[in-house]
Amino acid sequence: MEELVSLRGIIKHFPGVIANDNVSFTLRKGEIHALLGENGAGKTTLMNILYGLYRPDIGEIYVEGRKVEINSPKDAITLGIGMVHQNFKLIPSHTVLENIILGLKKSGLVIKSRKIGEEIKKLAESYGWRINPNAYVWQLTAGEKQQVELLKILYRDAKILILDEPTSVLTPQECRILLQALRRMAKEGKGIIFITHKLDEVFAISDRVTVMRKGRVLVTKETSETNMSELAQYMVGRPVIFTIEKKESRPSGEAITIKNLKAFNDKGVLALKDVNLKVMKNEIVGIIGVTGNGQQELVEVIAGLRKASGGSLIVDGVNIINSSPEKIIELGIAYIPPEPLRYGIAPNLTVLDNLFMKAYRYKPYSNGVIVNWKKIYNKAEELIREFQIVPENPYAKARSLSGGNLQRLILARELSGLIGEKIPRLIVAAYPTKGLDVGATEFVHKTLIEYSRKGSGILFVSEDIEEALMISDRVAVMHDGKIVRVFRPGEVDIDKIGLMMAGVEIAFK
Amino acid sequence: MKLAKTIIMPHSVKIKRRLHISRKLSILTTFSTLVLAFGVSGIFFAMIGLNPLDVYSYMVGVYTSPTLLLKALERAIPIGLAALGLSIAFRMNFWNIGAEGQMYMGMFASTGIVLLHAYYDLIPDYLVLLLMILASFVTGGLWCGLPAFLKAKMRVNEILTTLMMNYVAMYFVDFLIYGPWRDPKGYGFPLSIPFPEYAKLTMIFGEFAYSGLLLLCIAVALAVVILRYTKLGFELKIVGEGIDIARYAGIRITKVITLGGILSGGIAGLGGLAIVSGIIGRLRPRASPGYGYTAIIVILLSALNPWLVVPVSIFFGGIFVAGDILQATLKIPGAAVEMHQALIFLFIVVGEFLKRYKITITREVVR
Repeated sequence: MEELVSLRGIIKHFPGVIANDNVSFTLRKGEIHALLGENGAGKTTLMNILYGLYRPDIGEIYVEGRKVEINSPKDAITLGIGMVHQNFKLIPSHTVLENIILGLKKSGLVIKSRKIGEEIKKLAESYGWRINPNAYVWQLTAGEKQQVELLKILYRDAKILILDEPTSVLTPQECRILLQALRRMAKEGKGIIFITHKLDEVFAISDRVTVMRKGRVLVTKETSETNMSELAQYMVGRPVIFTIEKKESRPSGEAITIKNLKAFNDKGVLALKDVNLKVMKNEIVGIIGVTGNGQQELVEVIAGLRKASGGSLIVDGVNIINSSPEKIIELGIAYIPPEPLRYGIAPNLTVLDNLFMKAYRYKPYSNGVIVNWKKIYNKAEELIREFQIVPENPYAKARSLSGGNLQRLILARELSGLIGEKIPRLIVAAYPTKGLDVGATEFVHKTLIEYSRKGSGILFVSEDIEEALMISDRVAVMHDGKIVRVFRPGEVDIDKIGLMMAGVEIAFK
Repeated sequence: MKLAKTIIMPHSVKIKRRLHISRKLSILTTFSTLVLAFGVSGIFFAMIGLNPLDVYSYMVGVYTSPTLLLKALERAIPIGLAALGLSIAFRMNFWNIGAEGQMYMGMFASTGIVLLHAYYDLIPDYLVLLLMILASFVTGGLWCGLPAFLKAKMRVNEILTTLMMNYVAMYFVDFLIYGPWRDPKGYGFPLSIPFPEYAKLTMIFGEFAYSGLLLLCIAVALAVVILRYTKLGFELKIVGEGIDIARYAGIRITKVITLGGILSGGIAGLGGLAIVSGIIGRLRPRASPGYGYTAIIVILLSALNPWLVVPVSIFFGGIFVAGDILQATLKIPGAAVEMHQALIFLFIVVGEFLKRYKITITREVVR
């Protein structure tokens, strides 16, 4: 079969890390090629090289048999390569049509909107999509935005499509539509590279699969000739257990009691209407719900990062509502924030700085004025080993860490009891496994369960029902700023949970 | 299959951030931008009928003659102190453009103490200098602490407030010196009374350059200790990474920003003290020829490293001295000298950009 792309011997270094170590990869005409690997395995780096965002240190790129140098996305586009990034690169305040023709050479001086609009519509329809070229991008759902990104590429006659974790933002229905469209594109002779860390997607869509780990390609296989556990083993480097062992919890004493909590969101709308919930020590309480029903506001209020407009948070009989974040940290409330890169990590500082950005001010790391960096360094080395953070260098910039390692860093900071040398009384974990691969997810689950059995109370917010049911001792369903119901996993079947999340009131016997 | 065609890409200019800046590149760039700056100024010198080489030899002479180098060192002290103050503000991403005004407030406070002592004689002579140091630090500190507090509490843009407060401070000193603080025996010149010996920084070593250098080195050590070893230093760094992350870490942001601002302005205030009590020996209007602005370039060139501030300040001190000499000996108009200085600054700023970013012009052919 004809080769569309061939990457040969690609090596790419970043300061302190080798992201691609002698990688070779081929894409055939008419195939969907899954590129599988954990976060930080080097998948995205490799594709960014093909798309001209990075230059390889060493290595050759062939497109349709010709050796090429790709210095920028512009070069890549000229060669017929298009890429859909994980976060969309569209301008929300412009229309679909404007976004698609932006930067297009052939549009000329006068834009024939009507003609182009018709073309775009026809193109979209051929893949079963319904897109209004004159709609503004901000009006579109995530799935539709992705379709616009694809249309933008297809309109430029791309033959080679790169999709970076395209399903991570989609609902199951949108996902199905995408996969159907991709199959049609492959049938038309385009080559599609599908970056993912989800094993089931590999089998749902791909013709061939390449597994990467730690910057290297381990194997390339026909998808029909392999199976899930084999691929998982390649990915993580060891056999993976898909279930979790968990001892029975023995709740003892309250970690926190939330009473009639009310708070506004950033838009000034009441997002927490009346939240009542109790978290015990030695227990994991899962919160599930459709994103945007107050989960984020709830965790922020507990962490002291958002002002509550009413209600109380009771810890040891004292109402701590609207205390400063400092006070809340001192009470032993740990917070694993959503979107760590925005809220939980300072990317330009070192691993060491990030590990100690809360504990530096307490004994024994500081005497009130001077920080004891030697003690901090020793402890940091210990934590890096305990939480298996890679790279093992305390002075590595946090920016150079992969998603899984950043989450390990946050866990190390929040859980290790740096403050007062004891474990946290309450751990608020907001979407702690979002975007993580199999190995890192497993690590987060195991660590949270371990701490809950050591005595911490855990509030575990997740968008994944199955994950929440697997991890939690009790599950609370949140809808429209309220806790709708609390139950034990197994007490309510999954369909009913779905209805509760959607706000349908259900009578229970 | 489509026919293979040759695609010729248009010329393109690409600006990319360098991941690593080598020392060799850094030194080479600074050196060549300086040469370029002198080259361009040379054209202007030639246009007003001077031999550029004569001009240059006078300038180089500043750094080779011991007496002139001492003068450069004197100028370096206020510049260096202001730059050290900025190292603290810039670390927390607080863009303090107001070192100039904070220096004027330092001059105001030190002169105020001298006048108070001269007229009321409340304290023993040997305490006067100590009190001047304290007063200039506090006044300069407040002058920067106010915009810092406003930024922390109400997100008021510090670039505007610190810059505008420069003019307030400068005209305030003008007002005092043309008005109530004018020396009654000064034949009407806008000058304060000359400072008595015990109120001068020369009292330690007899030569201001030496006692000033001591002051500067103490300030450098202080800045290093604050930035690297104290809680506050670490807090400044985290605040510099963003307010969200600092809040998350439980840092008291208002306290840190205000305190950082006070320290930054306070050290610049000491620079003001160095001008009136070291270089001039009295207060006069426009006593600083822009040292506070030069300090911004100094600290950026030093990459926020306090130790580098000393040599870099001496270099810039030399440029000021050279300007004076050129005006006095070659009768070059003041404007030409200032233009020459501005060109040097401008080229250095461009050089800094070139150090951080790589520019390539390419044209590719794909077969």
